[in-house]
Amino acid sequence: MENQATITEFDSILASRGVTRRDFMKLAGAVAVAAGLSELAAPRVAQALEESVIGATKGDLYPVIWIEGASCTGCTESFAQIETPDVATVVLDLISLNYSETLSAAAGHSVEEAKAQTIEAGNYILVYEGAVLEGWGGNALRVAGEVGTAALVDAAKSANAVVALGSCAVNGGWCAAHPNPSNAMGVQEYLKKAGVEATVVNVPGCPANPEWLMSVLVDVVVMKDPSLLLARLNDMAMPNDIFGQTIHDNCERRGHFENGEFVYEFGSEEEAKGYCLYPLGCRGPQTKSNCGVILWNNRRSWCVQAGAPCIGCCEANPNNPGQNWVEVNTPFYKRHRDLRIGDWTFQPGTIALALTGLVAAALVVHGFGMKVSGRMDGGADFEKIRKWDEKHPDKSIGKYDLTREEKAELAEKNCGHAVPEDDSEKGGQA
Amino acid sequence: MTRSVIDPITRIEGHLRVEMEVQNGKVADAWVSGGCFRGMELVVQGRTPEDAAQIVERICGVCPVSHAHASSIAGEKAYGITISNNARIIRNLLEGAQFLHSNILWMYNLAALDYVNPLNALTANVADAIDLAQAAGTSMHSDLGALHKKLAAFAKNGQLSIFSGNWFEADEGTAYKMTPEADLICTAHYLEALKMQARASEVSALLGGKMPHVMTSVPGGTMWVPTEQKLDDLKAMVDEIYNWVAETMLPDTMVLATYYPNVLEFGKGCGRYIAWGVFEGPGWPYGDNYIDQMKNRYLPMAVLDEQFKVSDVEESLIDEYMGRSWYKGTETYQSPYFVTEPDFTEYDVNDRYTWVKCPTYDGKPMEAGSMARIFAAYQRKVPFIVENVDKLLVALGAKPGDLTAFQSTLGRTAIRQIETLYVAGLMREWVTELMEALASGDSEYFREPKTITGEGTGFWEAPRGALYHSEKVKDGKIEGYQIIIPSTWNLAPINGAGDHGPLEQALIGVPVEDIEMPINALRTVHSFDPCTACAVHVSEPATGKHFETVTSPWGVK
Repeated sequence: MENQATITEFDSILASRGVTRRDFMKLAGAVAVAAGLSELAAPRVAQALEESVIGATKGDLYPVIWIEGASCTGCTESFAQIETPDVATVVLDLISLNYSETLSAAAGHSVEEAKAQTIEAGNYILVYEGAVLEGWGGNALRVAGEVGTAALVDAAKSANAVVALGSCAVNGGWCAAHPNPSNAMGVQEYLKKAGVEATVVNVPGCPANPEWLMSVLVDVVVMKDPSLLLARLNDMAMPNDIFGQTIHDNCERRGHFENGEFVYEFGSEEEAKGYCLYPLGCRGPQTKSNCGVILWNNRRSWCVQAGAPCIGCCEANPNNPGQNWVEVNTPFYKRHRDLRIGDWTFQPGTIALALTGLVAAALVVHGFGMKVSGRMDGGADFEKIRKWDEKHPDKSIGKYDLTREEKAELAEKNCGHAVPEDDSEKGGQA
Repeated sequence: MTRSVIDPITRIEGHLRVEMEVQNGKVADAWVSGGCFRGMELVVQGRTPEDAAQIVERICGVCPVSHAHASSIAGEKAYGITISNNARIIRNLLEGAQFLHSNILWMYNLAALDYVNPLNALTANVADAIDLAQAAGTSMHSDLGALHKKLAAFAKNGQLSIFSGNWFEADEGTAYKMTPEADLICTAHYLEALKMQARASEVSALLGGKMPHVMTSVPGGTMWVPTEQKLDDLKAMVDEIYNWVAETMLPDTMVLATYYPNVLEFGKGCGRYIAWGVFEGPGWPYGDNYIDQMKNRYLPMAVLDEQFKVSDVEESLIDEYMGRSWYKGTETYQSPYFVTEPDFTEYDVNDRYTWVKCPTYDGKPMEAGSMARIFAAYQRKVPFIVENVDKLLVALGAKPGDLTAFQSTLGRTAIRQIETLYVAGLMREWVTELMEALASGDSEYFREPKTITGEGTGFWEAPRGALYHSEKVKDGKIEGYQIIIPSTWNLAPINGAGDHGPLEQALIGVPVEDIEMPINALRTVHSFDPCTACAVHVSEPATGKHFETVTSPWGVK
């Protein structure tokens, strides 16, 4: 079977260098004794060090440049939590991480020089984390005395592949959420705009799961066959085996959804029973990712297992920063959400009614027409009222299609006073 | 007169530049520049406080939990919610797991490479190294022989990976002072620490779904409900981390101090400190007195002047000055809620040179961070802290009670280990406390708001120091949001009175032998554990001027 072959080859490549994935310490100790190597080898080692190279012209490790754009370092942090193989094995046995603002021992011009030499030598992978900022001519992000966009272009030009890691790198992520103050966008869109030809692989998530990055690296670094990677990509350049099915498809609480057993309040008795989080706004049905299968942090848990509804952080259309996961999914804990067009917010349910004249024109201008009609690729489709909610109006917290009187009553109940006229008009907090 | 520039500063979170004027082998003047603007406060406008708690934690991938909690507290203060006792304990555990993760990662994987040269370990005698570890009283869970072999294979391959372009030969080869054996021990701990910080994050994932960016803390409490299975796992992981921290981190700190006594001689900073307090204390709830609540935290709130004299925080004394940063105008604004407009001009240390604003307290620059928290706890007489601070002072050759002995680059680096040990121990207590609460039949985790209009401030601490989130909410939507983050305090530019920010002050006077590789400056920067991604922020209420907010489509119908 293909998977088994992959693992065998992975192990054999590591073993050929005297390490296994999990027990390299033990094995390395045994090999050391067998080889009779000791500090007598030190002069040779020192000589090898003097002749050390930064680029890809020599050595077994695959060079990687990891640039942080407008990032929170969360994707680096996430990568640092990887367990199989652990991060030390990755940076010492698999890749030569020649530039990482978080992990590099070097600083300042020295680390910039390491990057320049790696680019010069070629044959490397670029991992780009964080959003690309165009604000103030790119000065919203300044590194080493130049604008951040220049660093991206320089490193992307000669890279074998560019991994846009995390939702910010894919389409701007939260940085691109309204009002997108720093003019953020994703790597793929920026490079296209800048006229840079590059193979971009999009790995969304906030943060990206380290196992996802590892699966990309394994194709290129261990299997040494980038075509394996290219064959996995869907039309948004995301690995389809990771981002091809919804969270809901593989959710451990799916059985409760089918049974109509739901959690209606955080930390409640129903939560203790592990019921479905759908009424609390869970975006599992719309969000495509294998979180519930691969889990997080040494496969310890994931959002839904911990009692938190999915908030759709893998939602990222690489070609449209406006369709970032924050914009698409807030308010996170409501079944229905506001739609924002430019500076307007209103509810999608009302769009159909208001889809005339000026509003319709605005929708077309902003490219939302296709989305509203549910025919546009990428991004969550707007939800219709679910059958279950229809049958159980008293339990539904969706509160769809309320009349003005019902809204006022609800507001009175929830916050002790009526909602001001203009708010109820907008739909606001349904 | 010569300029020495480090840009980018690595092994931090975010983008940071340091420019220094070097005269007679010492830093005579310094300017610290934060390089990235994202505008978080603008993004949460018009969204709900529940959304905000999730969005704002994306400011920082190292301390997301603290942002989620400060934001949740702000939301709870606005809505008038006091969280349940179970929620208090669970949020303490989640916060504590992040503190352990962050402190371990910072000490070994970010700061230690300023002192430890893993390549020097190649010439170590393994047997001597084992003896040295025993003599130093530090733990040894790694097979040093195997590690030595691994390093040799790594070096033989010739590619330096994360050590590419290192500064190990700075100051003509004299900057790194440890013996090969000590370097081998610390390299083993560097690798063990990578595993331990991941274990601490695993605790966060158990309680929060994943880490970074935990999912379960929300204004009103927590979404996480314990089960017996989860509690067993929690206890086992918490015990494992405690044991490693207790037998490794303070002994390693003493090893560093032995080889680098000179680093205790510079890097003092401004000498004034703020800590807003973290980990809600026992005896919950406190009622309406926020000051009492902050003073009763396990690491309590305090503002300390040059003589370590304690006062309570007053929100109205927090100002921010715009005159040296890339924002319009030169005003000083008082917290909370004011309008600032980002406006890049050019990088000019004589004018504007950073995206970081300049916060002051009572008009003065203040240092935030672990050292500030420990000083605050010492002055508030927290028994564990008093005992262990005095012990460390004696070990460093100073008098018990003489806090000035810590006011240096290495002191700031060392004192944090006391906090790590304290939090690791508290985690064990909180697990027991939670088990007891559950056994007594308490099953409340979340409280719904009764009103959804109000204003509130979350005074809290991130691992890097005092954290402030403030929000104004109307009918469940945010109209004004403001964040002042620890690194904004520490990395502040020159203020309205012409005083340098805390890190700039700490850099002035640092010895620089080699302006190409100013290693002591780098050590000093790392001692603050900077986090620039969160240091840069902007605020604007919904009534602000440079973009239009909500316009109802019905308004134009």
